[in-house]
Amino acid sequence: MTAPARIVVIEDDPQIRRFVLDALGKAGCAPQEAGTARQGREILGAGDAQLVILDLGLPDMSGIDFIRALRLWSSVPVLVLSARVTEQDKIEALDAGADDYLTKPFGVGELLARVRVLLRRHGQGGDTESVHRFGGVEVDLARHAVKRDGADLHLTQLEYRLLAVLLANAGKVMTHRHLMREVWGSGQAEQEHYVRIYVRRLRQKLERDPTQPQHLLTETGIGYRFQP
Amino acid sequence: MHVPHIRSRKHYLMAAALCALTAAIAMPLRDWLDPANIAMLFLLAVFIAAIRLGRGPAVMSAFLSVALFDFFFVQPQHSLSVADAQYLVTFAVMLAVGLFTSHQAAQLAEKTEAAQARECETRQLYEVARELGAALSIEQAVETLERFLADQDMEGALVIAESLDANDPMTLHGERRLDTRETDCAREVYDSGVGIAADLPAGIMLFLPLTGATRMRGVLAVGPRNGGDVRARRPLLEALASLVGIAVERLHFAAVAQQSELAARTEKLRSSILSAISHDLRTPLTSLVGLADSLAERQAELPTDAAETAGILRDQAQAMHRLLSNLLELARLRSGRLALNLQWQPFEEIVGSSLRLLGDLLAQRRLAVDLPADLPLLRFDAVLMERVLCNLLENAVKYSAPGAAIHIAGNARGERFELCVCNAGAGFPADPAGRIFELFERGDQEPAVPGTGIGLAVSRAIVVAHGGTIAVENPPGQACVRITLPLGTPPTLEGEA
Repeated sequence: MTAPARIVVIEDDPQIRRFVLDALGKAGCAPQEAGTARQGREILGAGDAQLVILDLGLPDMSGIDFIRALRLWSSVPVLVLSARVTEQDKIEALDAGADDYLTKPFGVGELLARVRVLLRRHGQGGDTESVHRFGGVEVDLARHAVKRDGADLHLTQLEYRLLAVLLANAGKVMTHRHLMREVWGSGQAEQEHYVRIYVRRLRQKLERDPTQPQHLLTETGIGYRFQP
Repeated sequence: MHVPHIRSRKHYLMAAALCALTAAIAMPLRDWLDPANIAMLFLLAVFIAAIRLGRGPAVMSAFLSVALFDFFFVQPQHSLSVADAQYLVTFAVMLAVGLFTSHQAAQLAEKTEAAQARECETRQLYEVARELGAALSIEQAVETLERFLADQDMEGALVIAESLDANDPMTLHGERRLDTRETDCAREVYDSGVGIAADLPAGIMLFLPLTGATRMRGVLAVGPRNGGDVRARRPLLEALASLVGIAVERLHFAAVAQQSELAARTEKLRSSILSAISHDLRTPLTSLVGLADSLAERQAELPTDAAETAGILRDQAQAMHRLLSNLLELARLRSGRLALNLQWQPFEEIVGSSLRLLGDLLAQRRLAVDLPADLPLLRFDAVLMERVLCNLLENAVKYSAPGAAIHIAGNARGERFELCVCNAGAGFPADPAGRIFELFERGDQEPAVPGTGIGLAVSRAIVVAHGGTIAVENPPGQACVRITLPLGTPPTLEGEA
C-alpha cells in the first residue's frame, strides 16, 4: 500500500470504535471515526473514502437504509458489523449492497483480514486477472479450462458458471439468492438447494477435503465465500 | 282471552243500537220516503256494522234491520206480517247484501290484523337483529334474547359449544336453568343439527340449532312462560335462532382475533426484549474481545505474562459470548415460538463451518471426519444445527486431554440420519433418565472442567425441534453423543444432471 487507505468507521459504541481505529492505525491505514449515520454521511460526502466499516445498529438510522442510500451514489466497499443473531439482517445488508460482514464479537486478526481483502478487491477496480490459482487448482477464465494438480478437470457448464461467479467475487460473501440470480438467472427462494448441491459438487472436485473446505467456504445461513 | 269476548259483546250492542238509531231516524221520514229508500238506510247501517264491528254483529244487524224494516215500515205496520209479497224480495236482498258485505269486510279486517301482527313481529326481529349486531359479549346477546322472549310470553336459554370437540362441555347462558333431560335434548339437537319440539314435564319446549356461517355454534332452548304452545311460534323462533347463531359466531371470531393479536403483541415484546438483551450484552463483550485481542497482538512490546494475560482475557470473553449465545438461543427455543429456517442442504456444510468456527479450540486435538460423499440432503436450520455441532465439539474438547482423538461420523440408516460426535476420554456417567440434557445438570458432581450444562440443553432443544433424538453413549474409552434426524424426501434437481 503506497498511501494509507482512508477508512471510515461508523459505530456508536466508543469502545468498539476505539479498538477498531487502533487496529486499523497499526495496520497502516488512515481511519476516520463517526458515532452516527449522519456524521458518517458527512465524512463520506467528501468522496475519497476507500472503505466503510458500518455498525448495523446505529441510533439515528437503520444500517440497511444507510447502505441503500450510499449505493445510490457510491461503490465504496462496505464491511458491516452486526451484533444481532438473526442472519436475516446480514442477508438484507448484503443484498442492499454491503460487501462483507463481521459478527460481533470479532478479533483484530479477523477484522484486518477482511479489510485487506476488500481494499485489494477495490484497488484492482474490476478483476482483470484471467488465471486463478488456489490449493493446487488452476482456473483459466479466458480459456474455460480448469486443472487440478496439473491434470485437466471436467466441470459442467453450471458448475463452471458458479465457480466463475465465486472467483470474480473472491473474498466477498455471496448470498444464496445472489448466486441463484447470477448463475441460474432467477431468484426463486425455493430453488436455493440448487446452489447448495452445486457448491457441494465443486467442493468434491476442487477441495482436498470436501468436509473441511479451505477455499469454497460456507457462511452458515447466509451463503458462500470464495477464499483464495 | 277475556278481552275479545267483552269487546265482541259490546260490538253486538253497538250493532243493535245502530239499527235502532237507523229506525229512529227513518221513522219521521216514512211518510216522505219510499220504503225502498228506507231499506237503503238500513243497508248503510249493516255496511257500517260490517266494517267497524266485525262479522257476528254485522250478521245480527242484517237480521235485525230486516225485522225493524218489516215491523215499522212495511204495511201492515207494527206487525211482522207482510201484506205485499214483493217486500219478501226486498228482505232477501237486504239480508243477502248484509251478509255478503259483512263477510267481506270481516275478512279484510282479519287480513289487516294478521298483516299488522306480522309487521310487529318483523319489527321486533329487526330490533333483536340490531341489538345482537351491537352486542359486545355473549351476556349482552343473551340479555337481548331474554327480553325478546319475555315480550312474547316465553322464556329460554342459550347452550353454546366453545370448541369443536365432541365431548366439549357446552356452556349454558341465561336466567333459565336447564335440567338434565333438557340438557340432553340440547346435546341431541347440537349433534344432529335438526331442531325438535320436545314434550317435557315443564311443557313443550323447542330446541333449535344455532347455525353459523362456518359451523354449528350451539342450541337455543325456548319454553312457554305461562303455559301455552310455543310450537305456533316456531317460524319466528327459527328466524331468531339464525340471528343468534350469526351473533354468537361473530363474537367467537372477534374473541379469536383479539386473542391472536394479544399473542402477537406478547411475542413481539418477548423478541424485542431478547434482541435488546442480546445487543446490550454483546456490545461490551465485543469491546472486551477486541481490546484484549489488540493488546495480545502487541506481543513484541509487552512483557510475556502481560501478553499471555491479554490472550486469556480474549479467550474468556469469547467463551462468555458462546455461553450468552446458548442462553439466548435457549430462551428463544423455550418461548416455543421459534420459527425454524428449514432448508434442504448437505450436512457436511455445517461440519466444515463448525470446525472453522472452533479452529483454535480444536487445534490440540486429533480430528477425524467420516461422512459419505453421497449423503442425501437433509432439511434443517443451518444456524441452529451449527450451534448443536459447536456445542458438542466444545464439550468433546472440554472433556478430553490435549492430543486426544475427536471423531465425527455421520450416515443414513433407514429413515434417519445418524451423527456421532465422540471423544477419547472418561465417558459420561450412567444416565438412564437423560438428565444430562437438563439445564444446569452436569455429568460429574464435582466438575474439574468449567462450564455448565447449558450446551447440551440447547442442543437437545434444537434437535427435538427438528424431530430428531439425542442420546449419550459410552463405548470403551470414549464419550459419544449420538444425534438422529429424519431423512425425508429431498427435492431433486431439474435440468443438467
